[in-house]
Amino acid sequence: MKKFVMLGLAAALLSTAALPAAAFERVGDRKVIVFGGRQQVPVIDPHVRYDWSIRMMQQSLYDAMAKYNGNPAKIEPWLAQKWESSPDAKTWTFHLVRNAKFHNGDPVDAEAVRYSFERGLKLNKGVAWMLKDVLDPSGIEVVDAHTVRFNLKSSYAPFISWIPWWYIVNPKQVKANEVDGDYGQKWLTENAAGSGPFKTKRWEQNVLYELVAVDNYWKGWPQGEKNRPAGIIYKIIREPAAQKAALQRGEADIVEGLTPDDYDQIKSTKGIVVQSHAGMTTFGIKFNTQTGPTKDINLRKAIAYAVDYDSFVKVYNGAAILETSPFPQGMQGHVDVPERPKQDLAKAKEYLAKSAYPNGGIELDYYHVAGLEEARRIGLVLLDNLSKLNIKVNVTPEQWPNMVAKGSKPDTAPNMTSVYVTPISTDPDAVAYQYHRNAWGQYFAMSHYNNADVNALIDKARTLGKWEERAPLYAEIQKKIVADQPEVFGMIQNRRWAHRDYLKGFAFSPVRFTGEVDLYPLWIDAK
Amino acid sequence: MVLFVGKRLLLFGFMLLGLLTIMFLITNVAPGDPAKLMAGQNATQDMVETIRREYGLDKSLPEQYAVYIGGVLRGDLGRSIVSTKPVVEELLRYFPATFELVLVAMGLGILIGVPFGMLSAVYRDSWIDHATRIFSVSGVALPAFWFGLLLQLYFAVHLEWLPVSGRLELITPPPEPVSRLYLIDSLLRGEFDTFREAFQHIILPALVLSFPCLASILRVNRAEMLEVLQSDYIVAARANGIPAFRIITVYALKNAMLPTLAIIGLRFGWMLGSTVLVETVFDWPGIGLYAVQSALYSDFKPVLGVTLLIGFCFIFINFLIDLAYGWLDPRLRTQ
Repeated sequence: MKKFVMLGLAAALLSTAALPAAAFERVGDRKVIVFGGRQQVPVIDPHVRYDWSIRMMQQSLYDAMAKYNGNPAKIEPWLAQKWESSPDAKTWTFHLVRNAKFHNGDPVDAEAVRYSFERGLKLNKGVAWMLKDVLDPSGIEVVDAHTVRFNLKSSYAPFISWIPWWYIVNPKQVKANEVDGDYGQKWLTENAAGSGPFKTKRWEQNVLYELVAVDNYWKGWPQGEKNRPAGIIYKIIREPAAQKAALQRGEADIVEGLTPDDYDQIKSTKGIVVQSHAGMTTFGIKFNTQTGPTKDINLRKAIAYAVDYDSFVKVYNGAAILETSPFPQGMQGHVDVPERPKQDLAKAKEYLAKSAYPNGGIELDYYHVAGLEEARRIGLVLLDNLSKLNIKVNVTPEQWPNMVAKGSKPDTAPNMTSVYVTPISTDPDAVAYQYHRNAWGQYFAMSHYNNADVNALIDKARTLGKWEERAPLYAEIQKKIVADQPEVFGMIQNRRWAHRDYLKGFAFSPVRFTGEVDLYPLWIDAK
Repeated sequence: MVLFVGKRLLLFGFMLLGLLTIMFLITNVAPGDPAKLMAGQNATQDMVETIRREYGLDKSLPEQYAVYIGGVLRGDLGRSIVSTKPVVEELLRYFPATFELVLVAMGLGILIGVPFGMLSAVYRDSWIDHATRIFSVSGVALPAFWFGLLLQLYFAVHLEWLPVSGRLELITPPPEPVSRLYLIDSLLRGEFDTFREAFQHIILPALVLSFPCLASILRVNRAEMLEVLQSDYIVAARANGIPAFRIITVYALKNAMLPTLAIIGLRFGWMLGSTVLVETVFDWPGIGLYAVQSALYSDFKPVLGVTLLIGFCFIFINFLIDLAYGWLDPRLRTQ
């Protein structure tokens, strides 16, 4: 009996010790790329929901008429080979390529485009907000099999900037899987009806999602047919330490979401490359401009001049750049606003003296998302900086849903809230609108900023067809917002990924979401 | 006995209803708007309302409660707002992973805890006793989160003996489901490579989960053994010249195991509820992870579902223990 137990234990230990460090996964003679991400992909329906991980999958499974590529991001033709708009930016006509096919072999035609936009608008979820105010389903016109026209309700120059977000679904597949007129929502939750470079294979929620590359993808493969991967596995690894371990062991080829210290430490590891690029995600400390002490513009200015901005960059170990205007540097129409406050304690005290609290002696709340270490550390910087103005800061962690709920109304919004905002289009309207009165209630408008001039300028700029006419308006908008100081304009952190050096084809584009990678051009250069 | 069981079953039902009501209230008074979160950061108010209507969140709280309880009685635990799927379907998907992890962890706890408890009692105040005391105190004191990361770093990254996370290698498909427990299904299907992989993957999370339970089994078993070893019948057995090994393993251990069994039963329920951290560290796709992910999105139907399931298991195990006590001690049946 004793011998049997000992033998069993020895066998168990040997079986575990025999595990080799994993190399890349293979299917036949092709390799499979493994992406280790922290966020799940609960829904892939392109008209229902999006965030970075969902969008990364949607971009791989579906095509849109245009696609954002490059740095700075440019809109490139994709399913549409070209397009034109009327001078008043009210009518947009798209000419589709003729060789695009859905995964089941059906052609991608103008009717599919019309149906997809109609579906997105009628479901009134996900991407609908981008176009619902300017486009009715009845305004989408199939001119011929390869031409589709959008007749907008009003002039809207940023229209084209949203097109890369509207993926085209195969109407036949969707209709065949409709349940009680749900536009195929139930089926499309975990199934795809697209024409993109990948198809779904395994879909194990909370574990992994496997995509398989499409043979003879209509657009071809940029890395060459020979080098293209067999597929992609998106494996959920929630803890940064576990992500790092998986990368080091070769269990993952690319990971996102490591801590700044991890990125710094791992970048000198042999065989690992860290991608670090300035994105468009801005960090700001939003003041409540409607109620409480921060309603006072002089107090807001005093705080803005007291802040040590360099420490914002230090929090990211240097992997960030300071904002020079409310618009991120990569955004079309961005201008540097020299009047933006820099740390100047004398000036801070000057503004404080003009405020309703000349001697300080007040307490202000600073809210940050619980668990976001960088935002917490910035809170500590603020606490230290404002102590020089005799202002006490209560650094308060809060769960994101609760923070959004609090910040949605002026009466409940904290005095100061740290918020990261990622614009999802290169059109300046995407950022400018965050400062419009109509944006109140949204998480990025926690300052509840309201300036009638700024509102009017934003409204006017979005109706102009020519960029030359729009650009000066956006320059003015940026200056006016800085003058009103609805927030402490912070920094733009770099987006970072770490990957094995044999992973090639990584192409950064700032308009993508935080952890999102274009999986299409990736490949593994190793035997 | 029938009356005893009937009373216990009635109590069982009331406890579950109480648990559900409290959880329903807590989740609904918590700030945060799941519809708004799911609608997306840029969604307009009418888009939020679309989602609210779809999930019945536009109804008053009493109405929502009535609909929910009605659903629970029909076996419908509602729909997750994050995944859009029925909660029952998702619990069936995730529970086997947790159950398998808890079974293995409990197995480890018993296999290590009982013999070491016995040894430390037999060799009281020796180095073995001191070592197991340190071991068991550490077991209770070590945070699972930290201990898990430490094991990952050493065994997975440094030694490369074991995988970092998950239930199987990426390319390996799960075995055809019978019990949905990979270790059992892979053996039933004759897929021994899959069994080996599943075994390698479960070692570290099971070890971390078993540690606090192992420590309490060890301490309880030690205490009971000490008491039993001093009892008259053991002294008599020794006087009769029965070998010490037989006295300890046959006569003493059996009696010392009764309270240990009660602890094992309680710990089983406790383990189900405390898989959250372990599952998060090891990306183990069980109900703990499911509950955490749902709570982060204020998606409360899955949280309620998981609470109900864990509560059910916990109460059910206690119910079995009650029955066992009643069977062992007839006086309890009438109390």
